[in-house]
Amino acid sequence: MTSSPSPTSRHTKKQLISGWGRTQFVSSNLVEVGRSNELDQITSIFSDSATRFAIPRGLGRSYGDAAQVAGGTVIVQPDDIDSSTIDENGVLKVSGGTSLDAIMKKYVPNGYFVPVTPGTRFVTIGGAIAADIHGKNHHISGSFVDHVNTMQLAAPSGNFNLSATENADIFWATAGGMGLTGVITMASLNMLPIETAYINMETRRAKDFDELLSVMAGSDADFRYSVAWIDCIAKGASMGRGVLTRGDHASLDQLGPKQKIDPLKYRPNSRLVAPPWFPPHILNSMSVRAFNEAWFLKAPQLRQDQIVPLTSYFHPLDGIQGWNRMYGRNGFLQYQFLVPDGEEEALRKILEKISKAKVASFLAVLKRFGKANSGLLSFPAPGWTLALDIPVGASSLSDLLDELDKDVLEANGKLYLAKESRASCDTIKQMYPKLKEFSRIKEITDPNGIIVSDLSRRLCLT
Amino acid sequence: MFDAMHTPDNVLIVGGSSEIGVEIAKALAKRGSTKFVLAGRSFETMQRAANEISSANPAGATSVSVIYFDVLAENAVSELITSTTAELSTIDMTIFAIGTLGDQAQLETDLKAAQEILEANFSKLAPAIQGIANVMVTQGFGHIVVLSSVAGVRVRRSNYFYGSAKAGLDGFAMALNDAVIKEGVNVTVVRPGFVRTKMTAHLPAAPLSTTAAAVAKATLAATDKQRNSVYVPTAIGVVVNIYRLLPRFIARKVPF
Repeated sequence: MTSSPSPTSRHTKKQLISGWGRTQFVSSNLVEVGRSNELDQITSIFSDSATRFAIPRGLGRSYGDAAQVAGGTVIVQPDDIDSSTIDENGVLKVSGGTSLDAIMKKYVPNGYFVPVTPGTRFVTIGGAIAADIHGKNHHISGSFVDHVNTMQLAAPSGNFNLSATENADIFWATAGGMGLTGVITMASLNMLPIETAYINMETRRAKDFDELLSVMAGSDADFRYSVAWIDCIAKGASMGRGVLTRGDHASLDQLGPKQKIDPLKYRPNSRLVAPPWFPPHILNSMSVRAFNEAWFLKAPQLRQDQIVPLTSYFHPLDGIQGWNRMYGRNGFLQYQFLVPDGEEEALRKILEKISKAKVASFLAVLKRFGKANSGLLSFPAPGWTLALDIPVGASSLSDLLDELDKDVLEANGKLYLAKESRASCDTIKQMYPKLKEFSRIKEITDPNGIIVSDLSRRLCLT
Repeated sequence: MFDAMHTPDNVLIVGGSSEIGVEIAKALAKRGSTKFVLAGRSFETMQRAANEISSANPAGATSVSVIYFDVLAENAVSELITSTTAELSTIDMTIFAIGTLGDQAQLETDLKAAQEILEANFSKLAPAIQGIANVMVTQGFGHIVVLSSVAGVRVRRSNYFYGSAKAGLDGFAMALNDAVIKEGVNVTVVRPGFVRTKMTAHLPAAPLSTTAAAVAKATLAATDKQRNSVYVPTAIGVVVNIYRLLPRFIARKVPF
């Protein structure tokens, strides 16, 4: 096949892509834009009549179909850490395609940590803004965009400078806007000064749901970081048992003598590769039960002042490259929802249903959120969020999750769009009442509706 | 679009009055598919089917439209594509559930009827499947289900017009899968044994016979896992593949 060369030559390849859950594979034109003329290339993609749809894609860590558009153009930006700068106040200026991984490698040794990190460091600045990601410090520090001062947005109707004072409506539509307002080319954000590349961690076991929630609600405020692993298979008296890991950046005087030699040495964990032949069906309810039992019992009742490297606290799974393939050819999904404060009984009810249904979930994480921001489609709000990884395959899964959707809705909760892969348009419309306002602002940046993702089509977001 | 469980939003059923096609549509509606287009010749039957499909969805959020399609008619394929794309923003899944059994004894003498059996089951159906596959390649995703038959695995004396047409269709669809899989499009070939439907009502039931509902269930189990082909019931696959390997002088004596 031949094709006529485009006005500015771009590196395009037709490719099958999917989200992290490997559930919805589609064919898209992947365009890797260059460093030197990024803005021109993005503009030419938007104005090219051959572009049916376009959506930016970062490192593909969204579980569902947020960073793909079947039959359209998927824009991939360069990881350009070398052009980043930081000033004496810790304000980082960085390009949209740069990963948190690259930022940490460069700036942790200089005494700066990213203000918010999710459970993986393989996300881009653009992706972090588009999903308005949260981390273990949400109850204290809020979500990612709470630390962003300015953004530059390349959109079909032009390029915009965004901040809380300039084009504020577009700023807050872009925060959590799943890339649908345009492509983030630059952002400036406030980095967190650190003395060491270590976390002073406390591990605490909670014997059941009530204890877990009361410990979190009672003393989360004493820790910058807090998250709980929760056993979603345990039933009866131990339903909702879990292990809390909380902590803060270790100060220099808390380090051991060896660690003190190079306190800011950043050691991203070694990258094992999950073998592609990893036998399917190993992750089933039996193996998960055994794992959960061992994990819970191995955790100490209470252990304080453990000094651990940043990576092992924040990004343990990043140590296994391609761990998502271990769920086999049907892939997996993550069900992450939020129920507001005061809806703890709804949370208990949902957890009971999950533990009864025996959906195999290794990675079940409970986190208490702090304040919400003004992002029209931002996920976090005061309350509890639970995230479960579930393999696709059981025929009962769809009905179970539909039922949980109803419970979440009834509790005035919502689902996280970055993880979403199966809800209905109507459900999402009820969970995100500001969708209408979002659509109105999207029309300013994208009047012809070129920016579309499979997620936005599936969930009727625009 | 598809969701993580591979449930499509929009579905086209070609052979809109086929019992198997309608059973698959009902099962999909129950799972959450929202828009259906039924394409076929009998508006009356399709309208009844449309009502059944709508009421299969507990939330009642299903819309079903009905369009005329006669695979033997001139321009049938382009009209099918035009009217379907007018109804559906994307054609996520298409079920080709067209099939005409014919009367073998009659076909051996009525050669015009014989030609039509080959056209309806294969030679005019294959271009229609290719046409929908082309739409799906452009949209970058999609899933095609082709109702084949065990009759096509080894063509038999007792129905060799129908059997050879299904053999052609089966081979076409399997190779089409190889052609489009890299474009994000899947093809699943379904090979039922004897299905008790109106098409076979006049025939005595064969061993290992099945129902339209069972075929629908097995079909979706196969599409969920994006399998290339499936026999319904599973046991009939073993039987016909043994039969396929029999030396001809023995196969000739097997009474079916």
